[in-house]
Amino acid sequence: MGNAKQNKQSQKNGDSAKAKRDRRQKREEYRAAMKQEGVAELPRKKFYRQRAHANPFSDHRLVYPPHPDMMDWSVLYPDYAVDEPKEDTPAPAQESSEQSVQEGQQETSPESQSQSIVSLNPRKLSKQVEVADIGCGFGGLLVALAPLMPDTLILGLEIRVSVTQFVEDRIKALRLKHKDTQAYRNVGVLRANTMKFLPNFFHKGQLTKIFICFPDPHFKARKHKQRIVSTTLNSEYAYVMRPGGVVYTITDVLDLHEWMVQHFTAHPSFERVSEEEVENDPCVGVMKTETEEGKKVERNKGNKYVALFRRLPDPEW
Amino acid sequence: MAAVDVPYHLVKACRGIIFAARGSDIHSFNSSFEHISTWKYPSAKGETQSEAQSSPAPEGPPAKRRKLEEGEEPASNGREASSANVNGQGKPKGWQDSNPALETPWIQGLYITSDGHHVVAITNSDKTIWVFEHDGAGNLKQLSQRPMPKRPCALAIMPDDRVLLSADKFGDVYALPLTPSDHLPIPSQHTLISRSVTPGTPSTTGGSTPIPRLKADETVVHTKRNLKALENQKKAALERKQPIAQDNRPQFEHALLLGHVSMLTAICVAQATSPVDGKTRTYILTGDRDEHIRVSRGALAQAHVIEGFCMGHEEFVSRLCMVKPASGQGNDVLVSGGGDDDLYSWDLVHNKLVGKAPLLPRVQEVVGEEANKLAVTRIVAQKDEKGSWVWVICERVPALFRYQLQEDSTLRHSETIKIPGNPLDVAILGTSSSTRLLVAMEPSEQGFSSLLVVEKASEGETDWKQTPVPNLPEGSAPGGVKIGAEELRKILYTTESLRKLTDFD
Repeated sequence: MGNAKQNKQSQKNGDSAKAKRDRRQKREEYRAAMKQEGVAELPRKKFYRQRAHANPFSDHRLVYPPHPDMMDWSVLYPDYAVDEPKEDTPAPAQESSEQSVQEGQQETSPESQSQSIVSLNPRKLSKQVEVADIGCGFGGLLVALAPLMPDTLILGLEIRVSVTQFVEDRIKALRLKHKDTQAYRNVGVLRANTMKFLPNFFHKGQLTKIFICFPDPHFKARKHKQRIVSTTLNSEYAYVMRPGGVVYTITDVLDLHEWMVQHFTAHPSFERVSEEEVENDPCVGVMKTETEEGKKVERNKGNKYVALFRRLPDPEW
Repeated sequence: MAAVDVPYHLVKACRGIIFAARGSDIHSFNSSFEHISTWKYPSAKGETQSEAQSSPAPEGPPAKRRKLEEGEEPASNGREASSANVNGQGKPKGWQDSNPALETPWIQGLYITSDGHHVVAITNSDKTIWVFEHDGAGNLKQLSQRPMPKRPCALAIMPDDRVLLSADKFGDVYALPLTPSDHLPIPSQHTLISRSVTPGTPSTTGGSTPIPRLKADETVVHTKRNLKALENQKKAALERKQPIAQDNRPQFEHALLLGHVSMLTAICVAQATSPVDGKTRTYILTGDRDEHIRVSRGALAQAHVIEGFCMGHEEFVSRLCMVKPASGQGNDVLVSGGGDDDLYSWDLVHNKLVGKAPLLPRVQEVVGEEANKLAVTRIVAQKDEKGSWVWVICERVPALFRYQLQEDSTLRHSETIKIPGNPLDVAILGTSSSTRLLVAMEPSEQGFSSLLVVEKASEGETDWKQTPVPNLPEGSAPGGVKIGAEELRKILYTTESLRKLTDFD
């Protein structure tokens, strides 16, 4: 397979290089236009495509606070800020020094956020993020959950830069479009590698719901260690969740479903939520139908495997 | 390339006996540095293999594909092994040099139980944990040899001296009984499943693995190419018939306690008393390359519960050390260091940063203003009548830095002692009445001893007396050979390479 691919590539090399240049140019023009203030038009996915996988073990060029207290959430949820913007405080963001040099590169974080999410003295919000969609992709679930939980702050986390930018532009456009109803003020998106940096963003017991929808299946046994669910990583999910909170998982890959069930049930901090309760949970329906992957699976008449896990209280010690 | 002697690189002291590792050997001495015994890495052919040449330098992210070692099952088929060979990523240039000094795994860590009855060592390229019985007079008897699934980076010994905690490059922490005949005090249902256990069999169902089921099916993949690949996989599976699943877990008793998705660099067991209920609890502290210090419950059956994180480092963490307050009152203070310019001190129970003590300016005083970064390689606590102290050494900085723990749990620099070589390890010798240190170093001059005693003869003195340790056993370099200076440094100085590259995409 590898050989065939190479041949094909070298044949098309001349054409595709030009096509690639054109595409990139169009993409840049489009993104620049989207950056203009007051654009209420919803972004178009074709200008934000990015390969489907990102290596969670790589360092990437991530921006994250060294401590959750240094996260300025008002950048994402300005309508919930309860105090005035503080006088300019130096932001010792991780890796932030390269931002200016590397501007425009694929690996940098969405331009609009990178300079300000980390602050020594962040503005306070009237409430904190309680729902996280880990690997939110193009944001279908976020947008569907926003009106369902209008009083809850919902955060999408995505490791791919372009895709994060899409969601950011999408939220921006939606907020503008629904100016009169103030809708979508409660959703935000961040570029992050949650497998490594969840505790940089959230305090202990902060979250009530975590969604893990159609995660990368990593079919090869050698790649299983990159899966976003594992017993050891589940300890971190347990840490950021309050007892009673629920982890929602859905996938179209049976093997991955079984893996997630096995790894969550093997973890003493979680129990599987009963069939009956799953059926009555309104979030489950949304998760099945509103995620981009969910729609794709629907079109292809695939299966959807759902499993929910409740965070149990920690035992005395 | 200049050939140099292999220096001592690890030192530990226990009740008048000194253990010092040099290459793959462990030597013991009495307090007047008379040689007692030597343990040599078994050189039997077939037992150790050529793979041992592989450099112990950290290879970046733990997930990196690496050359399979003999005795390890190939993961599914021969293809992986060969393709990994071709890739050969991350191997430093010249790693194929067949220097006998590099063929045997080096001792990477040396530990002594609190009762002094056991010595534990980790060797690097064979990923093995060795336990020795110590007769109290410097003689070691090898009790066990346990190869771990991934390379251990650091060990801790539980306060009861019965359980070892091994933190590995993959990010996992395993508990092992100190002596293999013993058992772990952990009910089996509390054992987690490692991400590194990759065979297709769920480990809980045990036993029956009929036909390997393909992970994907037509409902999952749709593109032409993926469908084609799926068809090929099916064909291959039918031809193979044998289940591909196999178990690469160690055969000795062990339990996975916790894991980071990041390379672990340090592990430490601490005890602290809660101001709320007055109860004293044990904690497991783990430091990683991604700036985290995780605080987990030290009750082994509950080690999956994260009590908190000590967040604040902005570069890798490489060392953790518990320091007793001078007054003897109150909890020990956690001191951490790594790639940051400062040493951090923490209130463990509240996961609160208490203070930062500048270290970079002190380093600059030794190596020059142009130094703009540092990598802490050791933090060692020492307590005497005059106070509670912390000794710090940094990679390639020929000095010992002494800090004093203040009453408010912060650290204050007290003095810097320049030494004739780059320090590799420090051990506190002697009692509290006089301060006496043993330093292992890479001497800056050839022919100079690599062990140095640094002491303050009497209390009134301000100068530190430095005495090289003479009469080291001859020919104790691995295989009695010299090693290229560059090669040696590649093995000895691996901490700075934990730093993230800023030009990395």
